[in-house]
This record gives sequence, C-alpha cells and structure tokens, in this order.
Amino acid sequence: MKPIAWHRVWAVVLRHLYNFYHSWDRIVDAFYWPSLDIIIWGLTISALTKQGQGAIIQISMVVSGIILWYVLWRGQYEITVNLLEELWSENLGNLFSSPLTLPEWTIALCALGFLKLILTIAFTALVAYFLYAVNIFHLGFALIPFIVGLLIMGWGFGLFIAGLFLRFGTNIQTLAWAGGFALMPFSATYYPLDSLPNWVQAVAHFLPSSYIFEGMRSVLLTGSFQTDMMIKSYLLNAVFLMLALAFFIRSFRLARINGLAHLK
Amino acid sequence: MDVLTVKNLHKQFGTFTAVNNVSFSIGEGEIVGLLGPNGAGKTTTIQMLLSLMSPTSGSIAFFGKSFFSHHEEILQRINTSSGYARLPWRLTVWENLNVYAYMYKVANRKEKIYSLSDRFEVLDLLPKKFQDLSAGQMTRILLVKAFLNDPEVLLLDEPTASLDPDIAEKIRNFILEERSRRNMSMLITSHNMSEVEEMCDRVVFLNHGKVFAVDTPAGLAHRNDKAELSLMIKDGLKRLVKSAIRDNFSYVEKNRFITITIPESKIAPFLLDIGKQGIEYDEIEITRPSLENFFLSVSKGAV
Repeated sequence: MKPIAWHRVWAVVLRHLYNFYHSWDRIVDAFYWPSLDIIIWGLTISALTKQGQGAIIQISMVVSGIILWYVLWRGQYEITVNLLEELWSENLGNLFSSPLTLPEWTIALCALGFLKLILTIAFTALVAYFLYAVNIFHLGFALIPFIVGLLIMGWGFGLFIAGLFLRFGTNIQTLAWAGGFALMPFSATYYPLDSLPNWVQAVAHFLPSSYIFEGMRSVLLTGSFQTDMMIKSYLLNAVFLMLALAFFIRSFRLARINGLAHLK
Repeated sequence: MDVLTVKNLHKQFGTFTAVNNVSFSIGEGEIVGLLGPNGAGKTTTIQMLLSLMSPTSGSIAFFGKSFFSHHEEILQRINTSSGYARLPWRLTVWENLNVYAYMYKVANRKEKIYSLSDRFEVLDLLPKKFQDLSAGQMTRILLVKAFLNDPEVLLLDEPTASLDPDIAEKIRNFILEERSRRNMSMLITSHNMSEVEEMCDRVVFLNHGKVFAVDTPAGLAHRNDKAELSLMIKDGLKRLVKSAIRDNFSYVEKNRFITITIPESKIAPFLLDIGKQGIEYDEIEITRPSLENFFLSVSKGAV
C-alpha cells in the first residue's frame, strides 16, 4: 500500500469542518437530536419509575445507552453524509482529479467521525449529567473499549451505506440518516437482550453492538466487565469492517467505470 | 518530448461506444484543442485523462509514465478546470481554495491564493460563499484552483463558458503567458472556435468517438475550402445569377443582396468575370473558410 499523504487527509477534514461551521443542519444533527433523545427518554423513564414500573429499567442505563448509541451513529453518519455533501455540491470530480486517494479520503471521513464524536459525547454527557445526574464516565475505563467498538461498527456500517450511494447515488440518500437506526432494535440499546423477542435476539447475536450494550449494562449493574462479550464483539466488528471495506472499494471502482463526475 | 500520450483509448457503455480507439499526443508547451460536436467523446476523453472514469482499454501516459501506475504523482503535476464544474457551495471562496491548496501541498498557500485571485480579478470574492457567485465568477474561481499547483499540463473543459468577453480575453492572455513563462502544456475543449484558432497549436477533432482529423486550426479550416461571397448588386443581378449557375456555385438571393458559396481559389477569377460583364455592386464581403465552417460541415456530415 502506498504511504498516506496526511496533508491531503487534512484537506478533506478541513473541507468538512468548514462545512460544519457554516451548516445549521450539521450543527443540529450533532447536538440537537442527541439532546432531544436524552430528554424524551429520560422523562419517559422518570414517569415510569414514578408509576412503579421502572424497577427493571434504570434511567442511567437508558441515558448511557443513548449516549453510546450516538457513538455508533456518529461514525456511520460522518461517512455517509459527508459523501452526500460531495455529491450535492458536485465536488467528487474535483476531489478525485486531485492526487487524493481512496484510502486517504476514507481515513479523513473516519477521522471526522472520531472528531465529531468527541463533541457529541461531551455535549450529551453534560446534558445527561445536568438533567438526570447520570454520569456516563461512571463506566470508567470500560468506556474506552465500548466507544472504540461502537465507532468501528459505525465506520463499517457507514462504509457499507456509502458503497450503496456510490452505486445508486442520492436516490437512496435517506439511508444516511435512517440507515443506522435500523440496527437499533437489534442492538439491545435500551433493554437487556433477554427481554427481547427470540427472533430479535437471534439477529442481535450477529451484531457487535448488542454485546457492547449488554457489557455496558453489566458494568452499570454489577460493576463487572464482560471480557468474553468484548472479544465476540470485536471479532464480529473485524469481519464486518473487512466486508464493508471490500464492498466500498468495489463500489468505488464500479462508480469510476461509469464516471465519478456523473454520480448524483 | 510528449507530456501526454494517449494510445487506442476506448470507452464502452454497454453497446454504446463513447470513445473508439482514440490516439493523440501533446508536446511540451503545446496547446491542443479537443473539438467535436456534442456526443463526440470529448468530455469522456477528458474524464479518463483525469482518472474520473476508467477506460475500457487503451493506455494513457503523462511525462512518459503510465497514468495507471503513477496516478498520484501525475495528478500532483496536472490540474483541471471546467466551465461547468462547481465547488462546495456553503464554503467561502477562500475556504475552498485553501482546501485545494492543502490538497496540492502548495507552498506559501496564502500568497499563492491572493496572487492568483488578483490575476483573475476575484480578490473581492474571497470572503463570499461559493453559492452566492454568478456562473462567470464560479468559472474564474475554478481557474484559480486549476493554477494553484503550477500545473505542467492543464486540462480545460470549456474554460471560458459563461464569461464576459473582456474577462474571457484576459484569461486567454493569462493562459498564453503561463505557457510562455513555464512551458505549460494544455488540452482544451471549447465551443468558441475563434478562441481555439487563437490559442491552439493543433486540434484533435473527434466525431462519433473517433479521431476524425488532427491538424492546425488553419489546416482544418482549409479542409473545407468553401468561402462565402456576399454582394449588394447595383446593376446586373440576373447576369450574376446566370454566372453562378454556369459555374455550379450555390447562392442565396434576397432583394439586391446575393450570397454565393464558392471555393476560395475561384473568388478572384469570378470577380474578374463579373467585372468584365459590367455587373456593378456597392458592397462586397468575403467570408473565408474558418474552423467554425469546418465544425459545422462535420456536424452536418458534409465533410
């Protein structure tokens, strides 16, 4: 593999940071929706607890689940929406008639996911703390493998959806926002896995995220970190990321056959 | 030495052949026009030269190196601009240019952006968002982008489309200066035939995806030697029409005006002949064969 030219990676990151600064849409996506989710779910669980139905579900679990969910979503979203930004602004031709390579572009999009994830987590963690006194950092060092695992899964899913965009263009652009949420019911984000229907559990066993959310609950409830769950999650993540990368690279080659500048 | 060599370039979309075994080259410091009617394969060829589209077969070499194996190195040394391309519309002009200056690792980024913006008379546009520019302003910004890395080969697709004539002339002059100063080579597509005649050393004429002709602009113009002789007749219109019919020249007659399509070499003898016949005319205009005539003839299938 050829060496990465980091100045080109920075150029792509800078292009999207400029866009973030100028775009209310992107700012709302980064801060408003995650905060709204925390407020709505927090209030719902508070109400259930007051009615005596909240014994099983603790508010800290749901709120922590929301914050961690946005890790996965952010990783996926930055890859897919930033590809859409290039398609909307007809910039793909400018980018790939420059010396920028596909690995450099991909690294830049993943890096953006990481950078904005820090912003989103910091903001939502503050919202959760001030509204419900939930401190996500009570998860301690376990938070690091949880975040890394979910971010990798988000990147993998983002690359898969980006591969679809390279094949079908903006006709399916709604997947950039909605695609990630398709994984949510199967990820045991808010509820323990064994409380879900059997068929949902069957699907969940193939998703790296379900092991992470189960692991998070284990830390919150018992204080124990389930290493075996993390290993399963990371192994699945490795397989899915490789498959997603292969699909993305293949889609890019196909797009180049038809012409990158024609992609809309 | 050739800076660009294209050999047997072929692009197939299903059963449609967009580019059919196209071969040509560009020498150092040479400006070559890529002309042809709509659908001739010009844009497809340029996109393959920029790696935005992969060819079905054939080879492309810049600076004697294969484009497929020296992709990044070559793209660092060339650049492109199109009259129809766009940049991210929410970013300011400065931000867009700064991004591409980083992309090409331009030394002294700020100075370079300011000096080029000054040359293209867009300094006042730097703080504006790209979406707020007119089509002509966007074209000029894309030209600034194209010169950021001091390209050795520049691929321009309709570079002066949507520009005012005075700005278009300034840009043509700038491009010609850059060629003289840095021996820059260029491949240019344009529908402005006078621009091609002014700028290009050679023209590669495509038609239906194939190379139809390669020649100098003047050489192509003279492949179609038909000129147009327009006269406002004072006396002897009927005799003039008879002479045109006699010599098998087609003509269009309206009131006292007549336009005769005539081989350039026969204009002088024809005028001498009508003079001998005592045919009198007040005005005369001769339109010599031009690249535009050649273009139109090929488009109509007359050549």
